[in-house]
Amino acid sequence: MHARWMRYRAVAVLALAVLLGVGAAAEAAKLTRITFYYPVGVAGPLARVIGEMTDKFNREHPDIEVVPVYSGDYNPTMQKVQTAVMAGNPPDVFIVEISELPTLLAMDAIIPLDDYVKTAEGGKYWEDFFGPFRENSLVGGKLWGIPFQRSTPVFYWNKEAFKQAGLDPDRPPRTWAELKETARKLTVRDAKGEVQRWGVTVSGGWNDWLFEAFVRQNGGWLISQDSKQLNFASKEAVGALEFWVDLMHKEKVGPPHSTWASTPPDFVAGRTAMLYHSTGILTFLKNSAKFDFGVAFMPAGKGFGAEVGGGNFHIAKRIPKERQDAAWKYVAWMTTPEHAAMWSQASGYVATRKSAYHVPAMKEYVAKNPHYLVARDQLQYASGKMMAPNFQKIREILIRQLDDAVDGKVAPAQAMEIVQKQVEAAIRQ
Amino acid sequence: MPRSNPDPALAKAAPLTRPRVAAAAAPRLAARLRGLSPYGYLLPSLVFLTVFTYGPLLVAFTLSLFRWNVLTPRPVFVGLKNYLQMLGDPLFWLVMRNNLFYALGTIPVTMALGLLLALLVNARGLRGKGFYRVALFHPTMIPMVAAGMLWVWLFNPGIGLVNYYLGFLGVGKIEWLYDRHWALPAIILMSIWKHFGYFMLIFLAGLQNIPGELYEAAGLEGAGAWHQFRFITFPLLAPATLFVFLVSIISSFQVFDQVYVMTQGGPADQTNVLIFYIYQHAFRFWDLGMGSTLTVTFVALLLASVALLYRTFGRRVYYAAE
Amino acid sequence: MQRSRRRERLLTHLALLAVAGVTLTPYLWLLSTSLKERTAVFTPTPEWLPWPVRLQNYLDVFGMAPFGLFLVNTLLVVTGILAVQLVTITLAAYVFARRRFRGDTVLFFLFLLQMMIPIHATFVPNFLTLRALDLLNTRLAMMLPFFASGYGTFLLRQTFKQIPRDLEDAAVIDGCSGLRFLWHVLIPLAKPMLVAFGLISLVSHWNDYLWPLIVTDTPDVRTLTIGLGMFVQQESGADWTLLMAATAYVTAPLMVIFLLFQRKFIESFMLSGLKG
Repeated sequence: MHARWMRYRAVAVLALAVLLGVGAAAEAAKLTRITFYYPVGVAGPLARVIGEMTDKFNREHPDIEVVPVYSGDYNPTMQKVQTAVMAGNPPDVFIVEISELPTLLAMDAIIPLDDYVKTAEGGKYWEDFFGPFRENSLVGGKLWGIPFQRSTPVFYWNKEAFKQAGLDPDRPPRTWAELKETARKLTVRDAKGEVQRWGVTVSGGWNDWLFEAFVRQNGGWLISQDSKQLNFASKEAVGALEFWVDLMHKEKVGPPHSTWASTPPDFVAGRTAMLYHSTGILTFLKNSAKFDFGVAFMPAGKGFGAEVGGGNFHIAKRIPKERQDAAWKYVAWMTTPEHAAMWSQASGYVATRKSAYHVPAMKEYVAKNPHYLVARDQLQYASGKMMAPNFQKIREILIRQLDDAVDGKVAPAQAMEIVQKQVEAAIRQ
Repeated sequence: MPRSNPDPALAKAAPLTRPRVAAAAAPRLAARLRGLSPYGYLLPSLVFLTVFTYGPLLVAFTLSLFRWNVLTPRPVFVGLKNYLQMLGDPLFWLVMRNNLFYALGTIPVTMALGLLLALLVNARGLRGKGFYRVALFHPTMIPMVAAGMLWVWLFNPGIGLVNYYLGFLGVGKIEWLYDRHWALPAIILMSIWKHFGYFMLIFLAGLQNIPGELYEAAGLEGAGAWHQFRFITFPLLAPATLFVFLVSIISSFQVFDQVYVMTQGGPADQTNVLIFYIYQHAFRFWDLGMGSTLTVTFVALLLASVALLYRTFGRRVYYAAE
Repeated sequence: MQRSRRRERLLTHLALLAVAGVTLTPYLWLLSTSLKERTAVFTPTPEWLPWPVRLQNYLDVFGMAPFGLFLVNTLLVVTGILAVQLVTITLAAYVFARRRFRGDTVLFFLFLLQMMIPIHATFVPNFLTLRALDLLNTRLAMMLPFFASGYGTFLLRQTFKQIPRDLEDAAVIDGCSGLRFLWHVLIPLAKPMLVAFGLISLVSHWNDYLWPLIVTDTPDVRTLTIGLGMFVQQESGADWTLLMAATAYVTAPLMVIFLLFQRKFIESFMLSGLKG
């Protein structure tokens, strides 16, 4: 009898020891590891910056390890995210181009962030983001993404080239008409008639994004905010395309084709005097250009107009809650005013929050580099970027007609009719 | 069966055939081993062939009858609608045209270049043969993606080598990959550079198989170089030519890497080729139904082309020894 | 007669030198650019000799992406593919060369047909298969579709057929047949062809792009070619010297081995086309 009690006691002690041991081990191993897929869509060593910022986060949060995975530019990153979602192994947190939101929702790949956002920073978090940036996060009354690398297109001009052409280097063209005039004066051809320098380049690759800006400058819109109405064949859209065709096909002051990656180096090399591109290449230009250059609002059509661009943070759906919580901690940290300011300085992207511009380091920086304020200031003329499900297909359709139109292969009105018809089919599919 | 000249290598192999198995058991064991189903030997290959080659073809064919894309997350049977949609899509026909132009641009030139260089390199007693072969063949060792990047740099309109050297010939700057008329020719040029070395080697092998006596005899009869080529070299190269033709066709259908890295199908889809088009549908638009439809079309066209090739030229090929 | 032969020879050399020169120019330009300073590439006339020479470019490249890891992954994948291929093709080629059995013609035709069905034809359904097997984003995924090789089986069958039948008959009498015969006799005799096929397979899969692109996401399993493609996007054409350094690095292993063993490589690729 005594022996049996001894045995029970021994077992009980052993069990307790095991439990305590396991508990201790679990405590020690309580590291939540999350993967973060992200794109770099502009020139510049931004992958390194993400790496450095993430290292800092990991150091400050010993119980979380964020593993950043550079995934190419926007298209390959979306492909990788979709592949991973389909494989049942999604990245815990990721950034994709803002117009992909409807597709992410169609795939049921992400969670709404309302609950996290409501309590963040005492409830003041969301209001601090700039209005136009918030627009591409809201669908069906819920909040799905947090703005991070956000931009608008801006207008860059080479002040040296302006001086050479006898133009006032501090006065960029403010209207479409002025743009055409200036571009004519800046286009340089040699004796054989070959272009030595283009007047203005409207960068290819994301020329659909730039086109949307021109449409807004002309007082129009392309897709309604609820993604249900299409307005491609409108007068304003056709008018915007006619202006492009005029510049690139008739006046020949700009190259009809280029890639998103080739045009910043072209600008730096002096092969184009003026450039439409994202504000995200600003730091790259600052570090590479050997000449003085200016940054301004895109010239006005009927008025100034822009739309936003870039990528938002999303958190995956089919992962354990503790990983979602850890992912939120990372997102919240990366989007504090200080870090938003840091990111803006390193890239040229707009700091996504109003209070970021009050951070002392940022105030000092923009005082010395006012270029970094242009895109932010242009936001008053900007609103959300057009988006719809199956957006990749829509982009292809639009880009194809834009490319054909500037080559003179199809009349602008006809081109936009085609886009309207084909996009209708793509959305109804 | 008559024994041919005993090969010393074979003689060396002989001792290994004496096992230490008991003489009595040997015949039964041998019979058992020999009886081991040949299918057993084929099993590993067949498993992989079924799962990764033929099974997928069936899957592709089945899926091509369904609509399955971002907006239709669960596959819906639509019969042949995908095929009709494909045939009615002008972009599909543009892609077909691009593949055709690519084939017409690369196949004859690469084959002719390969043959010509093989003839030159094969010259009897030519010094530096090794150097020439390495120099002409080295592009094969470069991954297509790397070659693509390199040629993007070479085709740079402002500071690339191609425009610079063309300038010496009096040709004006061409925008190459940014010009709707020159993007596909640029890809063609680069592909020719990449592939002709391999064809040269195949032709060299073929040339080396032609007995020298034939040329001597022809020379004695007074046949000139062209005659020798036409009546000896070319016919006897037929197997090599057929092989090279076959590889060219298959390879022209497969063009992808260069397009992905150099142009992404642009500008204005002027370099969009079939495999890139399939990739766009399957992995950018996530339209797996249409991706499968295009896949089936691809396989059908490829097999039809190969069959056509064999039917037209296969019979005329003269095998010197079978 | 002598003079015309000499002139012919001279013309041949000139033609060959011209073509060889043009063929080599791209790769030499690649190496030259990779050693330049960033802004040195913007000269209006091309400078062939970089000065100052900037070896740092190669180090910078390594700092921007784990190219060492990419090399390891590529090595693992190509050797993995070849290892399994050698097993499958040897077994299959043996019975096709030496045995008659029901359906042998049809089956052999299926093997041959596989040569006409490249991965480009099957990548969409194969992607779905790997997803179902839960093998996406693994090195194994990059290898699986290539384990069976109709081409290798075909080449090896030709080789086996050329080995005299008497040898096998004699071996059978001695009690050595089937797998033992294959292993101890046929394979050693077929070594040249096995080496040839091996080199062709290694080169061919070293250069794989589309399939790895589809099935892998993360850097831990990424191969050299995919790594280069991604690096291109990272650098976005802004610094050609870094881009060319990365490209040079990716091409270096194969190029170096090729130069060291050129005879073997050339012989192997020449053998690849022999039909009979």
